[in-house]
This record gives sequence, C-alpha cells and structure tokens, in this order.
Amino acid sequence: TVRPKNEVEQKQLCAFGEYLAEILPKYIQQAQVTCFNELELLIHPDGIIPVLTFLRDHTNAQFKSLADLTAVDVPSRQYRFEIVYNLLSLRFNSRIRVKTYTDELTPVDSAVSVHKAANWYEREVWDMYGVFFANHPDLRRILTDYGFEGHPFRKDFPLSGYVEV
Amino acid sequence: VRVLSVQTTGLVGLAVADNPHERLRILYTKILGVLQNIPKDAAYRKYTEQIVKQRFNLVQTETDVQKLEDKLNSGHIEEVIVQAENELSLARKMIQWKPWEPLVEEPPSDQWRWPI
Repeated sequence: TVRPKNEVEQKQLCAFGEYLAEILPKYIQQAQVTCFNELELLIHPDGIIPVLTFLRDHTNAQFKSLADLTAVDVPSRQYRFEIVYNLLSLRFNSRIRVKTYTDELTPVDSAVSVHKAANWYEREVWDMYGVFFANHPDLRRILTDYGFEGHPFRKDFPLSGYVEV
Repeated sequence: VRVLSVQTTGLVGLAVADNPHERLRILYTKILGVLQNIPKDAAYRKYTEQIVKQRFNLVQTETDVQKLEDKLNSGHIEEVIVQAENELSLARKMIQWKPWEPLVEEPPSDQWRWPI
C-alpha cells in the first residue's frame, strides 16, 4: 500500500510558504514542503526571534504552541548544528518547522522570550550538543551527570563514552 | 453596551469583554496607525492592512456579538481581541526588525542539501 497523496493540502502549504517568504525575505533562505505535506522554513540564525514572534502573533499564522526544539549534528558542514523548531497552530490546525544553523562556537538567540516552553528544550540542546543560547534565563546541564564532560549527541562522541562505568 | 447574558467565555483566564466593538475599534485603528510607519511596498504592511481592514469593516457593520463571532469565524470575541493585541505588538516590533529588506546572508552552498 502507498500513502495517498493529498494534493489540496500540498498546494495550500506551498501557497502559505510563499506568503511567508514574501513577508520575511530578510531571514527566510528557503521554504520547502516535504512529500508528507510538512512545511519547512530555512532561516538565517539572526532571524530566529523575529520569525518565531511573527509566526506566534500574526493573524494568518497563529502558531502559539512550540511542540519541539531539537538540534541535528552534521559534522561535514561548515555550520555543523541545525536547530529545529516545530510549531503547532491550534486555530488553523497546522504545523510548521523552522530550521536554523550554527557551529560549535557561535551563540544563538534563545527562544524563551517568544515561547516559554523552549526553556528546558534549549537546556537539553546545550547539554547534548554544546550549542550556546544567548539570553537564556538558566542555561545549565539537564540530562547528563553532574561532573560529565563532553556533549553526548555529537557525532564524534563515542557510543560508550570516554569514562568507564 | 453588551448585555452580560453570557456569564463566562469558557476559557481559563479570559474574562467576558463588556464592550468588544469599542475595544476592537481602538485596537484596529492603532494597528493601522502603526502600519503607516512601514514602507508602502512591504508585503507585511499590504497583507496586514488587508486583514485588519476586513475585520474592521465586519466589526463596524455587525452590532450583534454572536453574529460577529460567526462572521469572523475566529473563536470567541475575547480571543479576537487578544489576537488584535498580539498583532499590534507584532507590528511595533516589525518596525524595529524591518524584515522586508533583502536577505541578510546566503547560507553556505552545502548547508541545506539533504541527503548530504
């Protein structure tokens, strides 16, 4: 069996992606719709707070809920970490993904001022990947042990770690 | 003046608004005033003016609150008020950020390539 293609939703998401790209050309580098009807916005890191605030407050895009905040490590790239925000709009029952990039040393603006939910998610990304979030109220380790050194989710961190337990 | 036959909105933290038409009128005029400070060709100004003017017309023509809620099709009138306040604060921030300018910086060519 093959998943049926929903052409109407695909067209609506494409149109919405073009609408967003027209309003925010300063920060949106690319907008794409996956074959599973998921809209993704690829952002410059300076534009995190403007884009997230726009998506939360604008009448046509009331993405009030931050569903997820994660990072992806691709070591071969110049900016190895990709920060991913998944947003949900309750008014329009629609989801959107916002992606940014950074490397190990460049800080990224914290989304806590826009979505309170980002607090622990950003602590997790800091702990697991080492991405620093500027203006975060309380950025400290959340999942690793107290004296743990290293950032476990990076691709160059070995599976069984450096310290024998 | 709205007759408070509706005792509660049913939503936590949102009290029933006693004069929603007045409040919305004030908010929409403020938003349109703030939008005047944005360049005329910016897409944000164009679309937001379109939305706000459409809602403003509906608010001015329809005096019954329940019918206005149905026509706006956007939840309770109190939610519409909250949304208008959000749009106002967003418009003020947009003047600082100026997102209608061209792209800040191109990404490296392999940044968004997938599969790698």
